[in-house]
Amino acid sequence: MTTPRDRVSHLDLMARLKSAFTDLPDAPSPDLIDHERFTAYVKTPHDVGGEPDAPIKFENKQYEAWEESTYVLCEVLGWRGIWHTEERRRIGNVDVGRTIYLGLPYYGRWVLAAARILVEKHHITLGELTDRLVEVKRRYEGGLEGKTWQAKPKFEGDGSRVTRNLHHTHAVGKGDPQVFAGQAGQPKFQVGDTVLVRELPALFYTRTPEYVRGATGEIATVAYESLGPEDEAWDRHDQTPEWFYIVRFNLSQLWHGYTGTGTDTLQTEIPQRWLEALT
Amino acid sequence: MSEHDHDHARTVAPMVDEITDFEVLEIALRELCIEKGLFTAEDHRRFTEFAEHIGPTPAAHMVARAWLDPEYKKLVLADAIAASREVGVDWLEPTGFGTPSDFTALHVLEDTPTLHHVIVCALCSCYPRPILGNSPEWYRTPNYRRRLVRWPRQVLAEFGLYLPEDVAIRVEDSNQKHRFMVMPVRPKGTEDWDEDQLAAILTRDCLIGVALPKVGVTTNAITDTRPAIHPVQH
Repeated sequence: MTTPRDRVSHLDLMARLKSAFTDLPDAPSPDLIDHERFTAYVKTPHDVGGEPDAPIKFENKQYEAWEESTYVLCEVLGWRGIWHTEERRRIGNVDVGRTIYLGLPYYGRWVLAAARILVEKHHITLGELTDRLVEVKRRYEGGLEGKTWQAKPKFEGDGSRVTRNLHHTHAVGKGDPQVFAGQAGQPKFQVGDTVLVRELPALFYTRTPEYVRGATGEIATVAYESLGPEDEAWDRHDQTPEWFYIVRFNLSQLWHGYTGTGTDTLQTEIPQRWLEALT
Repeated sequence: MSEHDHDHARTVAPMVDEITDFEVLEIALRELCIEKGLFTAEDHRRFTEFAEHIGPTPAAHMVARAWLDPEYKKLVLADAIAASREVGVDWLEPTGFGTPSDFTALHVLEDTPTLHHVIVCALCSCYPRPILGNSPEWYRTPNYRRRLVRWPRQVLAEFGLYLPEDVAIRVEDSNQKHRFMVMPVRPKGTEDWDEDQLAAILTRDCLIGVALPKVGVTTNAITDTRPAIHPVQH
């Protein structure tokens, strides 16, 4: 039971949680949103490369038991064809939104992604999840008192009628991206080619970082064929695979005010749809 | 009490050892998955066993062996997945198509006296888990990911690695399906060493590229470790 005071104090906490430009009101009217602000708000929150930040103390962290079991849960869901890793990365790194992205621990987002995929693909209802959360919490009321918790499934279900993806059987014995070999035709670019990274709108999902969009680089490796992340993130195996390339950029040309040497470089992997030839 | 003290106090574990929200979520989901037949308890147990046995040892041996054997080095640089098998890592395990989140494409980046590689995944935390184990916490921080791609020399200095002007840095942002690790330059003073001796100085941090192997140094650059509330027991 919560008291009126509890409810007010939680809302006070929520009011301090900000993930918006502080010079704009919440839900601003359209005349207050220009292209720059629109792009900033819809930017996929996982794309943090190049954002200014102050140094912190780098440290290791002992693994929490739930972090390991969450990692295993997510991987086993991939193993058994419930999702492709790209769906997990989209849901846990982008769909969660900026506030959760920056606010929760790394594996906290993994466990939320697993919950969401099960509900969205109709494997469980949200009601079933809610009931089970209440039930599990009740088991440990009053604290763990040195006990370790355990998953106690009531039975092992029959999985024969579960809807599963093609990938988890197609990729066996080959691997990923090898499962896509030979499906993208001839690569458009060769090692040494100069390319421009296209400035495409990147709504909802991409793995081409903002910091290289519009920049010029050189093909360092013709990497492999694969579905693009923009397709694989929704399990669109009906789409055509494309070539991926490792592209090299000169850091002093990439960043205004770069403080390293003129020979420092950066490489990142980019699918063909994001590249155009520059002669 | 200042605002800062107040916030810091919130990170201290409470007196009653409550189960956390994350633990409740993970247990509930695992139970429902098994009851719905999405996977079996045995699948979960097998993957856990696999996950608990990965670590940086095979990666260190791969590089040490490459330092000693020029033919093996050629294989490492040309086909690192094949070279992994020779140090006991089959990238198709444990599912027949690999660990779903790591994919099955590995590049080993060879340092030279004038080129130093360092890896990051600015979008999440892509890392060659099957051969290097789980990524350290700092590697996953938005801070490392934000800054390494733009201020690599400053970030490396924070790890105690100061590179001279005549060494070019190459940052590898591992953002798609390839996974990367670094093959550092073999340090002086190791001329008559065997593979085990060499592997001992090839720490995880050297293979990420935030440290260089040194005679007498067998620990990572970053050793401070935050304790878990409820650590893995094994």
